[in-house]
Amino acid sequence: MSYITVTDLQKTFTVRKKREKGHLTREKTLVQALKGVSFSVERGELVGYIGPNGAGKSTTVKILSGILTPDGGQAEVGGRIPWQQRKEHVRHIGVVFGQRSQLWWDVPIADSYALLKDIYQVPPQQHQKRLNELTEALDLGSLLRTPLRLLSLGQRMRAELCGSLLHSPELLFLDEPTIGLDAVSKLALRDFLQFENRQHGTTILLTTHDMEDIAALCSRVMVLGHGSKLFDGSLADLLSRYDTQRIISLRYDGDCALPPLPAGCESIREGDGYRITYAPQTVPTAQMLSLLQSAGPIRELTAQPQNIDHLIADMYREMDL
Amino acid sequence: MGTVKLYLKSMAMLLKSQLEYPASFLMQTLAQLIMEGGEFMAVILIVDRFDHLNQWTPGDLFFFFGVMSVTFYLTECFGRGVTGAFPSMVRMGQLDTLLLRPRGVLTQVLCSAIDPRRITCIAVGAAALVMGSRMSGIQWTFLKGIALAESILLGGMMILGLFLIECVFCVYSVKSVEMVNALTYGGRSACQYPIDVYPRPLRLLFTVVAPFALTQHVPAAYILGKPLYHWPAWTAFVCPLAGGMVFAIMYCLFRRALRFYRSTGS
Repeated sequence: MSYITVTDLQKTFTVRKKREKGHLTREKTLVQALKGVSFSVERGELVGYIGPNGAGKSTTVKILSGILTPDGGQAEVGGRIPWQQRKEHVRHIGVVFGQRSQLWWDVPIADSYALLKDIYQVPPQQHQKRLNELTEALDLGSLLRTPLRLLSLGQRMRAELCGSLLHSPELLFLDEPTIGLDAVSKLALRDFLQFENRQHGTTILLTTHDMEDIAALCSRVMVLGHGSKLFDGSLADLLSRYDTQRIISLRYDGDCALPPLPAGCESIREGDGYRITYAPQTVPTAQMLSLLQSAGPIRELTAQPQNIDHLIADMYREMDL
Repeated sequence: MGTVKLYLKSMAMLLKSQLEYPASFLMQTLAQLIMEGGEFMAVILIVDRFDHLNQWTPGDLFFFFGVMSVTFYLTECFGRGVTGAFPSMVRMGQLDTLLLRPRGVLTQVLCSAIDPRRITCIAVGAAALVMGSRMSGIQWTFLKGIALAESILLGGMMILGLFLIECVFCVYSVKSVEMVNALTYGGRSACQYPIDVYPRPLRLLFTVVAPFALTQHVPAAYILGKPLYHWPAWTAFVCPLAGGMVFAIMYCLFRRALRFYRSTGS
């Protein structure tokens, strides 16, 4: 039996539009946020959950964490039905919303943590031990006496993470945790999540738009679009399906016109050079190179794979999202 | 026991965070004093014009005013989460956070806000209460003390219950619906005066729908020794239970509403 089992999960929202002039009633539209999603996650897995805005990612997280009641389907986390056994369930999970604070705004974060201890009824010794571990791993020691509102975004995210892990949850939901963070904070955050996952076997479900997060952390990716699951597998598998194009940037000695390229290739003028996108399956790289050389002496040339964000964008386009 | 401890700890922390902005806190407290003091002055001026209103002497009227003010503002002070903060908590998604913690939602809502500025309003109310008690020459007994405590406690529960109506609407529509204010703030203003000075429709409203008359006026009249409608003394102890009923009913509706909560954004 898997740790998380989700079967045919459905959720529909009624959206009322603003009343138009001359109409007495407002138009109602039904938005199917989830149209029967199924998946299962094993204990200790680190899973990335991606999809464009409005795909139903947050809705899934909210159902699995007991905030929302689904309209149909089943979900079980560690043998509990989240929305029916809310209090018992949330004792075992931690949730971090990237854009929403769960700590108290005007008091030092240490005070927030002390209150969380009482809310979750963690024994004092256990609490202190965990707090020490987390403040060290997240480098929060010097910030404990600072009110949350005075922290920078990166510091705040670390403080939030610490708060959501104090009660040693077995499952952690992260909703866009790296949004707006600088490179150093992002890297530190990823390291920490990996550490937490290995050290305590915490199952982590991560929703994000940052593909670097996924590449660095997740062995498994689920893609959600229009309320349905479109892909479930490793990131490498996902990319190999869409990673069909290569990019060549080159510059000639002097001003040289580009030779006519075979069908399916694209070229863009970039400064005094060119940027060519082609598919090696149809036009082998050797053929492409000799074609480019025939036009004149090449001064500089770099070949590279497509950017991961472009790949995902292509994928969304192809899946018609 | 854990719940009470949690509430006290939360209150201490909220107080601390309010005092992070001492100037603003002082100014607002002062503003409240002027507001509530003005309200009391208005009662004094009105009462000054008559020797009595029905069978009530000026002292009696001050006493009614005091009971109402103390009850209402104590509720607003300690129940701020329900009486004021809840709509914005729903809009800003803070309710999500509360749902993620292993405690009752209403407990957490109550733990999440306090309004210590009301202390001045409570003080004015208490002053009116003492003044009224002196002027009317109330002979305090143990039973009268119980009646007053019960009236304040259950009156407060009823007021919380009335504000919960707004919370219920809020959970469904994610918007604040202020129509309930007619019952809450309207009820407070109207029921500063004893119920029998009003015409029948208003009497019905504040006896059956929002039973301020039962939680405040019946016990207060008993304490003054002039039972309302000449009801027997035991009614002073039974009638306020209506406040507990209002609270219980609204609490059930609130719990139901949470099942339909739809959250906001991501």
